[in-house]
Amino acid sequence: MTAEPAVGLKALHSRRGWIGVGAATLIVGVIVPLLSVAVPASSPLHVPDYLVALLGKFLCYGIVALAIDLIWGFTGILSLGHGVFFALGGYAMGMYLMLSIGAQGVYKSVLPDFMVFLDWKELPWFWRGFDNLSVALAAALLVPGLLAFAFGYFAFRSRIRGVYFSIITQALTYALMLLFFRNETGFGGNNGLTDFKSLYGYDLHEPSTKVALYVLSALGLLLTYLLCRFIVTSKAGRVLRAIRDVESRAMFVGFNPTSYKLFAWTLSAILCGLAGALYVPQVGIINPGEMQPANSIEMAIWVAVGGRATLFGAILGAFLVNGMRSFFTAAMPNAWLYILGSLFIAVTLFFPDGVAGALGRLKRKS
Amino acid sequence: MSTSALSTVPADESAEKTGSSPSVSPPSAEPKKRSWSARPRTIDPVRREAVVAGRPAVLCVDNISVSFDGFKALTNLTLILEKGELRCLIGPNGAGKTTLMDVITGKTKPDSGTVFLTHDARDLTQLAEYEIAELGICRKFQRPTVFAGHTVYENLELALQGKKGVLSSLFFRLSAAQKTTIEGILEQIGLHEHAAVRAGQLAHGQKQWLEIGMLLAQNPKVLLVDEPIAGMTHQESERTAELLKSLAGERTVVVVEHDMEFVRSIAKKVTVLHQGSVLAEGDIDSVQNDPRVVEVYLGEPRT
Ligand SMILES: Nc1ncnc2c1ncn2[C@@H]1O[C@H](COP(=O)(O)OP(=O)(O)O)[C@@H](O)[C@H]1O
Ligand SMILES: [Mg+2]
Repeated sequence: MTAEPAVGLKALHSRRGWIGVGAATLIVGVIVPLLSVAVPASSPLHVPDYLVALLGKFLCYGIVALAIDLIWGFTGILSLGHGVFFALGGYAMGMYLMLSIGAQGVYKSVLPDFMVFLDWKELPWFWRGFDNLSVALAAALLVPGLLAFAFGYFAFRSRIRGVYFSIITQALTYALMLLFFRNETGFGGNNGLTDFKSLYGYDLHEPSTKVALYVLSALGLLLTYLLCRFIVTSKAGRVLRAIRDVESRAMFVGFNPTSYKLFAWTLSAILCGLAGALYVPQVGIINPGEMQPANSIEMAIWVAVGGRATLFGAILGAFLVNGMRSFFTAAMPNAWLYILGSLFIAVTLFFPDGVAGALGRLKRKS
Repeated sequence: MSTSALSTVPADESAEKTGSSPSVSPPSAEPKKRSWSARPRTIDPVRREAVVAGRPAVLCVDNISVSFDGFKALTNLTLILEKGELRCLIGPNGAGKTTLMDVITGKTKPDSGTVFLTHDARDLTQLAEYEIAELGICRKFQRPTVFAGHTVYENLELALQGKKGVLSSLFFRLSAAQKTTIEGILEQIGLHEHAAVRAGQLAHGQKQWLEIGMLLAQNPKVLLVDEPIAGMTHQESERTAELLKSLAGERTVVVVEHDMEFVRSIAKKVTVLHQGSVLAEGDIDSVQNDPRVVEVYLGEPRT
C-alpha cells in the first residue's frame, strides 16, 4: 500500500498552496454563511438553508476524511471502523443535547424520554456530568481517543497488520453497534438520541444557530487540516511514511513503530470524535446506524476516491462522494450502493492515486 | 584446533579446550526450550567475564541456538567482536550468516543463548529491534532497503542519531551541526548531487551506499553489513571496500561476503560459518588453507 509521496503535499509547501487554502476558507467559511444570512431569500445569490445544512454535514465528513488520510494515507493502516469513533463523538454531544431538553420532553420529566419509557428513576452514572457542555465536548474527544488507544495498543503491539487489522476494525464497529442497539445499554437503543431542542441556550431550529454550527464546522475542518498538515510535513510525518513503506528499516533506524502508529491512530480517532460532535446538532439525531460496518467502509472510499496521502484529496473525496450521494439518493434511491461500488472499483483500477493524483498528473503534463 | 580457540569459546562440547583463555562450556543444565520472556533480562557477570576473558570485546554472541520448525539454523554459536575490528563472515549459502545478524539485531529470537554489549548489562535477545538500534548496533540488509519515497537527504535525516520519540520528531529541527554531519556523509558516500533525489530512483549501487550512509548517520558502535557488494560493478565494489575500511577503527564492522577477493581486500580476520556453527576463524590465509574450510567450499578434502 505504498502511495507516491503526496503530489498535493508538495504543492502546499508553495505560496500558491496557501493561497488555495485561504481562498477555500474564505468561500466556504465566510461567503457562504454571509450569502445565507445577509442576503434575502428572494435574491438569486441567497444560499438556501437546506444547502447550508448539507454543506455543514460535508464539512464534518471532511474532518473524518482527513483523520482517515492521516492513518491510512500516511501511516498505511486501513481502518474500516472509523464510523465508531465518529458515532461516539456524536453520542457524547447527543447526551448533552438530550439533557438540555430538560422537562420539555413528551413525558415532562427531567430524564430523557427513552429512560422514562424504560421506567428508569434516575440518570445512569455514565450520564452524569453531561448536562455540562465542556464535559460533553471533552468526552466527545476522549472517549474515542481512549477506545482507539486501548484497541491500537494491543493490535499494534501484537503486530497485527494489513487486512487483519482492517477486519478487526470492522468487528469493532459492528460489536459496538450491537451494544448500542440494546435499550439496556442506556443510549436510547434503536432510536438513539433525538428531538434535541437547544444547544447552550440557542434554539437548534433557528437558521442563525444552524449557520453558526456550519461556521464552527468550517473552522473545525480548517484547524484539523492545519494540524494534519503540521504533522505530515514534520519529521514525525516522514517517520510515519517511512513506517508505512518499510517498517523493518524504520525499526532498525531506531524508531518504535508501535508508538508512532498509536499516535496517528489515536489522534485520528479523536478527530473523528470532533467531527461527530459537530455533526449531531446539525442533523438532530444520532443512532446506532452510524456504526454500521458499511458506513466505515464508505468513509474509507471517500479518501480512496479523493486520493491518499495528500490531505486536500481526502477533503475533495468527502465532498465529491457525498455530493454524488445526495444527488443519487434523491434521483435514484435504489441505485446508490451500486454507483458507490462502481465508483470505488473504477478509482482503484484507473486512478489508484485518486482525483488528487489525477489532477497532479494533469498539471505536470501541461 | 585452528586459530579459532584464540578468540572464541568452543562452540560445542566436543571441541578441544586449548590455550590459556578460560574455556567456557555451554551451560548444560539448561532445559532445551524455555520461553524467552521467562529468562533473565540481564547477563550474569560471572558468565560475562568468562566469555570476554579479558579481551577488548565490544559485542559478544554467547552460545546462540536458533531453529526454524526443527531445522537448526544456528547451533551453539559463539562470536566475540573486538573493538574497532573489521570482521568478515563467510560461509556457504544457508550457513546462517543472515540469521546471526537477525539474532543480534533482535529480528529473530533465539531458542537459547545471549547477546550482549560488554559495557551494558542487558541481554539483547530480550530487547525490541528499535531498542537494540538505540544501543548503537545497526545493520545493512542483504537487499538494499532504503525509504524509496523519501529523498536521499531525508533518508539520512531519519537515520540520524538522536531522540526517536514521537514528540521530539513532531518538533524536530535540524541543527547546524546535524546539517554538517549529513553533508559530510553525502560527500563520503558520493551522493552529494543526488541529495534531493528520491531514493527509489537511485541506481542499485547508489542505494547500497545510501544504506551504508544511513548506518553512518546512526553513528553506531557496531555495524553489521550483509553482502554489501552484491550487484555492484568492480569499480563500485572497490569504493565500497575503501568505505568499509575507513569505518573500522572507530567502529566495529562485520561484513558478510561471498567474494573472496573482496574479503581479502578488506579483512584482517575472517570467521567461517558452516551449518550454523563457527568452522574456523583467523586471518584470511590460514582460513583459506584450512582443510575443513576447503572441504566445505569445494565439497571434498583437497588432495
Ligand atoms: N525465517 C526462516 N524460516 C525458516 N527457515 C529459515 C528462516 N530464516 C532462515 N532460514 C533457514 O536457515 C538457514 C540459514 O539461513 P541464512 O541465515 O539466511 O543463511 P545465509 O545468510 O548464511 O545464506 C537456511 O537454511 C534458511 O533456509
Ligand atoms: Mg544471507
